Amino acid sequence: MIEVVHVSKHFSNETVLKDITVTFERGKTNLVIGQSGSGKTVLLKCIVGLLEVDEGDIIYDGVVFNKLNFKDKKSIRKEIGMLFQGGALFDSLTVEENIIYPMDMFTRMTTEEKKERANFCLKRVNMENSNHLYPDELSGGMKKRVAIARAIALNPKYLFCDEPNSGLDPKTSIVIDKLILELTEEFNMTTIVNTHDMNSVMEIGSKVVFIANGMKCWEGTNREILHSDNQVLNDFIFANSLAKHVKNTIKN
Amino acid sequence: MGLFFHVGKYYELMLKVFTKPEKRIMYYRQTVREMEALGLNSVGIVLIISVFMGAVITLQTAYNTENPFLPSYLIGLGCRDSMILEFSSTMVALILAGKVGSNIASELGTMRVTEQIDALEIMGVNSASYLILPKIIACILVFPLLTLFSMVVGVAGGWLAVVFTRVITPTDFIYGIQYAFIPFYITYSVIKMVVFAFLITSISSYYGYYSYGGSLEVGVSSTRAVVHSSVFILLFNVILTQLILS
Ligand SMILES: Nc1ncnc2c1ncn2[C@@H]1O[C@H](COP(=O)(O)OP(=O)(O)O)[C@@H](O)[C@H]1O
Ligand SMILES: [Mg+2]
Repeated sequence: MIEVVHVSKHFSNETVLKDITVTFERGKTNLVIGQSGSGKTVLLKCIVGLLEVDEGDIIYDGVVFNKLNFKDKKSIRKEIGMLFQGGALFDSLTVEENIIYPMDMFTRMTTEEKKERANFCLKRVNMENSNHLYPDELSGGMKKRVAIARAIALNPKYLFCDEPNSGLDPKTSIVIDKLILELTEEFNMTTIVNTHDMNSVMEIGSKVVFIANGMKCWEGTNREILHSDNQVLNDFIFANSLAKHVKNTIKN
Repeated sequence: MGLFFHVGKYYELMLKVFTKPEKRIMYYRQTVREMEALGLNSVGIVLIISVFMGAVITLQTAYNTENPFLPSYLIGLGCRDSMILEFSSTMVALILAGKVGSNIASELGTMRVTEQIDALEIMGVNSASYLILPKIIACILVFPLLTLFSMVVGVAGGWLAVVFTRVITPTDFIYGIQYAFIPFYITYSVIKMVVFAFLITSISSYYGYYSYGGSLEVGVSSTRAVVHSSVFILLFNVILTQLILS
């Protein structure tokens, strides 16, 4: 379980997050939704400690993460897998080397064990036999899948995904979403996914947090969204006329 | 205000860069790789520029000193000392600031905007140290060798110019380059280059590492890296000359 307590964050000229308090539960795919530029990535980076919070606390299963020193943070980071928006695979390394990298940093596994684990992870995301390709030889969806394989390489307790579907076609998006959902349940992880993709919300959003203008505006399950009266949320979710029509039909 | 901000942030970055490495073997491997990428790959450009500059310095000295009272071996001496004192360190450093500086800034900038640096940090890697320290060490080791190389091929370029144009006899030239030789000048030049190597790599790394935005900003960082490295090279050239030669 990850708790975000009264977190604020500002950059030199603007306030991006204002007093956000939210709880993300274990074994669930928690979704953070909001317009592009609303601060989803900043929130995620504050949670994993890539950005320092200005106020408030980030609590991992009872441990106040943002107050830890570098060494103790590292022991929690070992439990974190993160999927970045563009994949963020290391260009100069092959697919296999990319997946082995976190094992090199955190463990004392032998070369054999590392390769075996890498193959297992690749198989899990249906990317077997791509071990010796370089990231620029892969398509967008393949990159994301390799990035997921890298994120789960160390069997993390926490999985973070920043816009896992951005730049992907709807069908590939669903494959990635399903993969995230399955992995979350399989390994009982606490998963947080940033997205602005409504298909994902409906497919995998067991808990949805809506952020607008840096504030938490709404939270609930994907089913509850259909019945919500929150105007800002409705404007965001049911942006096109077809969706508006669906919503009205449900209501009546 | 802006200057103090940058100096503070640069200093902070350098503190992060010079912390004790955790996985030494990975740093070692990375340093060897950078020595090749940043150092050995610059041999070609240093060779070409040094040969031509040596030749031009020789010809210009020759055509501007057609005074019968000046012994012609002074032309060889002029070529040698210009190469050793200024060209092989300062000019070569400026060239390398353009080549290596922009390379470093755009590489780190791209890694920043594609979140590869964040990915490293998530894996508990001190990304500043892991990415930048090997570059600094590699350049500090290799650039002085490029300086020595530049001295040799520059003087050779002067000799070639003499052989082809016969402005003076090659024998006079050879006599000139041995005349009143002060070995300390070589030390002076090498010391300067060590400092320049640090300036180029650290300043370029600073601009690359703190890029924010997209490919456009990476371009801006890379330009800034080259301009600011060059300015600091010129500034430190004056300071070091005063310190060492006075
Ligand atoms: N490192 C940074 N420096 C300054 N401003 C930033 C930085 N990172 C993000 N921002 C700003 O924070 C706001 C939210 O960005 P972000 O979290 O990336 O939005 P999104 O919800 O699309 O992920 C944007 O206005 C962006 O300009
Ligand atoms: Mg984002």
